[in-house]
Amino acid sequence: MIRWTGRVKFLFLLPAVLWVLSFTVFPLGYSLYLSLHEVERKVVITGREKVPVLKADGTPVLKADGTPRTRTKVIRELQTTFTWNSFANYLRAFRDEEVKEAVRVTVIFTVVAVGTEILLGLGLAWLFNRRLYARGFLRSVMILPIFATPVAVGYLFFTIFYELGGPLSWTGIPWLSDPDWALVSIIIVDLWQWTPFCFLVFLAALQGIPEEMIETAMLDTNSQWEIWRYVILPILRPVIVIVLLLRFAEAVKLFDIIATLTKGGPGIATQSYSYLAFNRGFKMNDFGYASALAFLLLIAVMIIVTLFFRRLRTSYE
Amino acid sequence: MIRRSRLSDAFWSLVALLVAMLFFFPLYWAISNSLRRPVETFTVTGLGMPFVDFTPTLDNWRLQLGTPEAYNALANSSIISVSAVAIALLLGVPAAYALARFRFFTVPNRDLTIWFLSQRVLPPVATAVPFFILFSSFDMLDTRLALTLVSATFVLPFVVVICRQTFYDLPVELEEAALVDGAGHVKAFFWVALPLAAPAIAAAALIMFAFAWNEYLFAVILTIKSAATLPVHIAGGVDTRGVQFWFVAVRSLIAMVPPVLLALVAQRYIVHGLTLGAVKG
Amino acid sequence: MRSLRTWLGGVAVGALLAGSATAGQYVEWRDDGSVLLKLGPDYDNAVIETSREELGALFGPDQKPFEGVNITILTLDSGPKGGISGPIMAFRPVWEELSGGKLDVALVPITDLYAKMMLDLRQGTGLYDAVVVAAFFYGDLVSGNYILPIDDYMASGDFPKWSYDSMPESLRTLYTWKGVGYGTLNDADGQVLYYRRDVLNDPKWQAEFKREVGYDMPVPPKTWQQLLDIARFFDGKNFDANDPDPDSGIVLHLKVGEQGLYHFQSLSAPFAITPGEKLDRYRRVYWFDPTDMTPLINSPGHVAALEFLQELAKTGPSAQISWSLGEAWDYFLRGKSVFVFSWGDVGSLCQDPSRSKIKGNCAASVLPGSDRYWDHEKQQWVETDDPKPVGNTTGGSWHGVISAFSENPEAAYSFLALMAIKPVSIWNANNGWTGVDPGFSYQFLEPVGEAKLEDYVKAGWDPNDVRDYLKAYYDNFTADTMLPYLRIEGTPEYWDIMDKNLSAAMSGEKTAKEALDDTAKVWEEITERLGRDRILEQYQEAIGFEG
Repeated sequence: MIRWTGRVKFLFLLPAVLWVLSFTVFPLGYSLYLSLHEVERKVVITGREKVPVLKADGTPVLKADGTPRTRTKVIRELQTTFTWNSFANYLRAFRDEEVKEAVRVTVIFTVVAVGTEILLGLGLAWLFNRRLYARGFLRSVMILPIFATPVAVGYLFFTIFYELGGPLSWTGIPWLSDPDWALVSIIIVDLWQWTPFCFLVFLAALQGIPEEMIETAMLDTNSQWEIWRYVILPILRPVIVIVLLLRFAEAVKLFDIIATLTKGGPGIATQSYSYLAFNRGFKMNDFGYASALAFLLLIAVMIIVTLFFRRLRTSYE
Repeated sequence: MIRRSRLSDAFWSLVALLVAMLFFFPLYWAISNSLRRPVETFTVTGLGMPFVDFTPTLDNWRLQLGTPEAYNALANSSIISVSAVAIALLLGVPAAYALARFRFFTVPNRDLTIWFLSQRVLPPVATAVPFFILFSSFDMLDTRLALTLVSATFVLPFVVVICRQTFYDLPVELEEAALVDGAGHVKAFFWVALPLAAPAIAAAALIMFAFAWNEYLFAVILTIKSAATLPVHIAGGVDTRGVQFWFVAVRSLIAMVPPVLLALVAQRYIVHGLTLGAVKG
Repeated sequence: MRSLRTWLGGVAVGALLAGSATAGQYVEWRDDGSVLLKLGPDYDNAVIETSREELGALFGPDQKPFEGVNITILTLDSGPKGGISGPIMAFRPVWEELSGGKLDVALVPITDLYAKMMLDLRQGTGLYDAVVVAAFFYGDLVSGNYILPIDDYMASGDFPKWSYDSMPESLRTLYTWKGVGYGTLNDADGQVLYYRRDVLNDPKWQAEFKREVGYDMPVPPKTWQQLLDIARFFDGKNFDANDPDPDSGIVLHLKVGEQGLYHFQSLSAPFAITPGEKLDRYRRVYWFDPTDMTPLINSPGHVAALEFLQELAKTGPSAQISWSLGEAWDYFLRGKSVFVFSWGDVGSLCQDPSRSKIKGNCAASVLPGSDRYWDHEKQQWVETDDPKPVGNTTGGSWHGVISAFSENPEAAYSFLALMAIKPVSIWNANNGWTGVDPGFSYQFLEPVGEAKLEDYVKAGWDPNDVRDYLKAYYDNFTADTMLPYLRIEGTPEYWDIMDKNLSAAMSGEKTAKEALDDTAKVWEEITERLGRDRILEQYQEAIGFEG
């Protein structure tokens, strides 16, 4: 219950706030500045001079004839000019065909992957909440995917989706060479890695429900479905919301799997928003535009999360 | 707890076993890949069973374990992830407690929580360059410290959001009883709330460890060689001749060993249940 | 005491060696003026013989010209025995002993090399003294003045000696900008055709080909059209005993963000380039109109070439849409296709029994020409009876350049130059694992070059394979018409959109015409944004257009 108001609250909260501020204010401010400017960089070499070569201890290195060895010091400066270009980068994003496609890919991915993960996670939690043989062991196996390094996961699944004799080739599905299937493949990889996370949290929540509550409910009905619908799900609801939020925040940033599994292809059929922004920034040195894309995403996500929170808040606080 | 027949237990155990096998399959495939000769990467069909479908070799493991880079990366990743998680817990757990128990007025609790969450949403491309500039001006590029600071910053929101819910769901009466007995809020937090939330915090820590452990983008930007982490090392298995799947398999399996060991150790806590969303009447 | 004993020991050793030679762990100075560079047990105790003269004035017994100097080289990461990074690691201790300096090698995955290099250069951090770059980085490197010219170093005689003269004109262009040298000799990239010697020369298949297709099978094919006939003929047939399954005609690496783009460049050159005596507005150009930067990429020649590539791809496995070069090479190396056209790595991988089943049957030739080409001036197709191959330098031609921010450019150059001297260059080409592909006269066989067949055979090459291979590369790099290499600012961005559209065309999302029209449209936008005049000037400089 949120009820206290003592000043001691700041002692608890402020260190974290200050930490986050001190490490993000500069980066965010800088990229905001970049996104509103056009940047030019050039190295200007203003001179060259001979300077003595020094040993690690600072003494000059001598040649065989006793004179100091010299090296050429190149005197240069990096000239950078920032030109205000108002919202050009932001406007450009709205005209960019690739941005449109990336938004489509990211929305489909986020909705399908996160939705399926939550449902599968609930289903698996239900399954593992029963009495099972070797339950502890099986559960340990289930959570392993969380720890697989995403960079490696992409490569690993490339060998699994290999269409000529790979372990899934019997399906005859063009896993990676067909634009639509490639997106399905990406979603499958994400399901593999993150369903266990949802499962783990839901299972823990389920196990926290006292048996008496269920037994009381069973006096009224015999239908398992009704018990879930009217007793268990309402209790799980806040947990589901948290998992949804955390998964949502990760899913919109989808990057690693794409970078190592499809590179956004075929064409741009699996190019996610974050992958596009990364390439604009690092592959094309267009950090202003990349930052603008990043801020647009942040704004969109914040709007969604706030609306979402507002609706839910009324129900569970 | 619903129906108690041995037959149905056996049936559902079998289903659970199949599901677990499904989730384990990709890892099995990595093991299988790591034992093949390069030429066999794509030729072994079916289930790729060692000894049945091909003759396994330990060459890839030998070549990879022989390099100092692998050990260096392992050490870096361990130190960075553990320190980052420690910092994030130290800062994040009290903050989560504050958000769950105290009312803030200037900025409402909900907005503070969202603000913390927003730190995880921004694509790294917007922050990677400024971080590079920041750390190079402090001469901290290629240090474990720099990566630790960044990782801590990015897992902190996770701690706050998960732990806030945990504290929120704990019955407040116990703490109030402590307050009545004359303990301050700080004491009530340390002696009453924290022990109750410990299992959930442990589980959250484990997941955050995985996040910090697997972080690639900042690692590749902020390190040169001495502080390179395992994901950077794994990505190095790709060269002008394409992906060396056999090495990548070995390297990614090496990368999984420490977190998996940690997960098994923490298993106790998880068994006792993440009390996320535990009862409130 | 201790110093005295050391001194006495020194005298004793000196006496022993007096009149013979000075031998370090990695460098042995011999009295006849020759010098042995020893790579140590990690590299099979390879010994490379050079001379005092060749090493330049700075290096000599106990001269240690860069004592106390610490340099860092950024290169792609393929491990201590992998492509490009391997030889740098191999020669590190040699250079450290020669110079008294210390060399740090910063390794970064190939996918992130460009980003990491540009970050350092754009911020002026100066972490790296030298960077191993791909030639298509030059637009960005030169326009920002981020790299230092090396001509003065070369002329001084102080450094290990090598020469741009050993490079064919086509490669020399990639290592220089407007005649000024920036790059030190290392790798040469270009695509050639690899084919199965045993299959194409089999009389049984030749007879059947003639019966089915109606003419004698040309080995190797002289035009792409012939190649397509042969690929179609073999596709679906099981032409060898490597496995019981049917094999393919060709295999391509078409994955977006990887190499698909390069296939198209090399293949389309003879369709889309109008040959001519010298480069002008219409002749020998490929990318843009050199007078106003109008994209040529959607010319009928380019479109026809892409349509041709779509046809050709049908004779390969459909999964190749998602393949990068490793997987495609693997397919060819396992004997699953008759053709692959790709980089020099294939030739050396053919010789590696852990990757290849076709050692000894891995023949190579220059890429075919086309029996018709587009005339940009008359805007019409020209049929030709005498199709000429168009050479290409497609790829990175990975080599070292010196950062303008280096505190020790001379030390950095002395290392890169050591890697560029003739015996090292030959050794690199001999040993396929170095990823250094042949292109320089040092590496070609006599009489056109200076290398010896025995050296290649000793390093594990099949003599027939290597003879073909070196000839293919020689023919390619010295071809009369070359595919111009795009190295303007923003090249990665121009290529990115082209790559995506090509991939869309290859996977059937767009037609060839749509894909290239869309590419041209975005190219115009990029040019406008970057500044047409500036880009045009760079483009003219890069391809040597003189108006």
